[in-house]
Amino acid sequence: MNKVIIIGAGPSGLEAAITCREQGLDVLVLDEYMIAGGRLLGQLYEQPDGTWWNGLEESKIRYEKALELGTRFLLNTPVNNIVQTNEHWTVYTDTESFTAKHLLLATGAAETPVPVPGWTLPGVMSVGAAQVMTNVHRVKPGNRGVIIGVNVLSTAIAMELKLAGIEVVAMTLPVNSQVTNESSQPKEVMNSLLHVSHMAPSKFIKLGSRLMKNDFMKNMGVTFFPKTGVKIWDIPIQLRKAVVEIYGDNEVQGVIVATIDSKGDVVGGSEEKIKADFVCIAGGLYPLAELAAVAGCSFYYSEELGGYVPLHSERMETNLDGLYVAGNITGIEGAKVAIAQGKTAGLTIAHHAGIPGLEKDIQTSIESIERARDKAYIQFHPGVKKGKELLLAEWQNRLGE
Amino acid sequence: MQNEKMIVCRCEEVTYKELMETKKTYNCSARELKLRTRAGMGYCGGRTCRGMIDKIAMFQDSPKNNKEVSLKYQPPIRPVSFTDLGGVKQ
Amino acid sequence: MKQRIIDHPVLGKIEERKLITFRFNNKEYRGFEQESIAAALLANGVRTLRHHEENGTPRGIYCNIGHCYECRVAVNGIQGVRACLTPLQEGMVIESGGRLPTTVRDWRSEDE
Repeated sequence: MNKVIIIGAGPSGLEAAITCREQGLDVLVLDEYMIAGGRLLGQLYEQPDGTWWNGLEESKIRYEKALELGTRFLLNTPVNNIVQTNEHWTVYTDTESFTAKHLLLATGAAETPVPVPGWTLPGVMSVGAAQVMTNVHRVKPGNRGVIIGVNVLSTAIAMELKLAGIEVVAMTLPVNSQVTNESSQPKEVMNSLLHVSHMAPSKFIKLGSRLMKNDFMKNMGVTFFPKTGVKIWDIPIQLRKAVVEIYGDNEVQGVIVATIDSKGDVVGGSEEKIKADFVCIAGGLYPLAELAAVAGCSFYYSEELGGYVPLHSERMETNLDGLYVAGNITGIEGAKVAIAQGKTAGLTIAHHAGIPGLEKDIQTSIESIERARDKAYIQFHPGVKKGKELLLAEWQNRLGE
Repeated sequence: MQNEKMIVCRCEEVTYKELMETKKTYNCSARELKLRTRAGMGYCGGRTCRGMIDKIAMFQDSPKNNKEVSLKYQPPIRPVSFTDLGGVKQ
Repeated sequence: MKQRIIDHPVLGKIEERKLITFRFNNKEYRGFEQESIAAALLANGVRTLRHHEENGTPRGIYCNIGHCYECRVAVNGIQGVRACLTPLQEGMVIESGGRLPTTVRDWRSEDE
């Protein structure tokens, strides 16, 4: 029997596997993707010190280290259910089942879609899909793209597309509806963009971010945001335009954009066509916690963390014995935070598996999660620290009940 | 194409209009919305549209329940073929 | 294979891999062994992977990491295979799914 099963071979799952193996535990890692690395695979950006964060390379290093340490991997293996019986967890795949006393869910995140009329046409894909095609598979998603949704993730990926020689002709907002809310509100988007201002070589955004500390200035910012957009890396970012339709006979041929007012409502008669052969939908990420839900974990909804997350301790334990979580399933953050969480989860599992003397290491690892969070180059939600505090308070609260 | 024809659930091709009208007519919860329209009941198991169904269900009222996931998750969370279920070797 | 990114300013030159032959909807294509079926098809300019069972609308990849099932195809006779996470192999026979013969589209309006 395996001592530890880890579901998800992304940054946190790999780090947890390495940590558990270093403590001498038997580890089996399952992942439905064909390559280990999860969302880390596609990441590529220049860090403040001028070096590149190359997710493909980072994934490979960790995967090979885990293999060297004797971790068992089953890639291309989707998990469809987990069940707790007699203090053991059984993990079901299509053809086999596996049992372990300790189970770590490191299933990461899924992309939040933003529906736009015409978004089922071939050539329309999530922004993460375009990232994986470009950086992992080295295939162009198209030659001329439009990105719908302006946020941290889409801005970073727009730069990556550009780097690969793919033209991004516009980044705009989605047309507003009950299901798009904040992502179609220029002011909200402007607000969130301020948190990526350090990534922008554009003086306008850098200068603007310092000026727009209060609501009044933000309103002014939206009002005076140029209708032609602001260019970041030569990509026009348009907060005053929204895509009202994606058109094409059998595949994407372009989008229809319209001018929107500061509330996100379309100004009639302002529609114009932009030709494109691919469109990316960027609605951000949400924690993928379906297995935790199936297992019966307690949950907590947090806007700051990106949605429903399994309630968990600082040591990455859930309220169910032997079930742990790490990475984006606990809230949307960068890969470096996920790696730090994987380490904590690995140590906590080793501690529960009876390995003595780990208390100090666990405490140190919890502190390094905090440090990674504070130093994060990309922050998905400005309130993530507060979200984590509220979640921890809720955990302690419910433990007391 | 108008907002009305906009698809929300890609698997079952349920439109925004259909969901909004169902919500307005029956003032339903996310679960009822799903059962009435089949949104979220297709091949992907609602992984793509569940957040949107939630948002439509919250239209006009209902504050978010922050302690329970609003739409239940049920195993298997990925489709399994009968061949695999029956243990038939390919 | 016009859509390949051969040179990349940071990632460098594309890795040399074995080229193999496969079939999609009765047409022959070439792709790299072990890359995803979806990547191989997109590299060949193929975007439409199936048609919706009900309305027959064309669909292609959407999430590209196995969550959305939009890219499902039949591979060597097995249905419901996700093109985005299935490694390509020599001689694979891949088929699109299409519209089903009987419609159920009307049930909603009749029911109300």
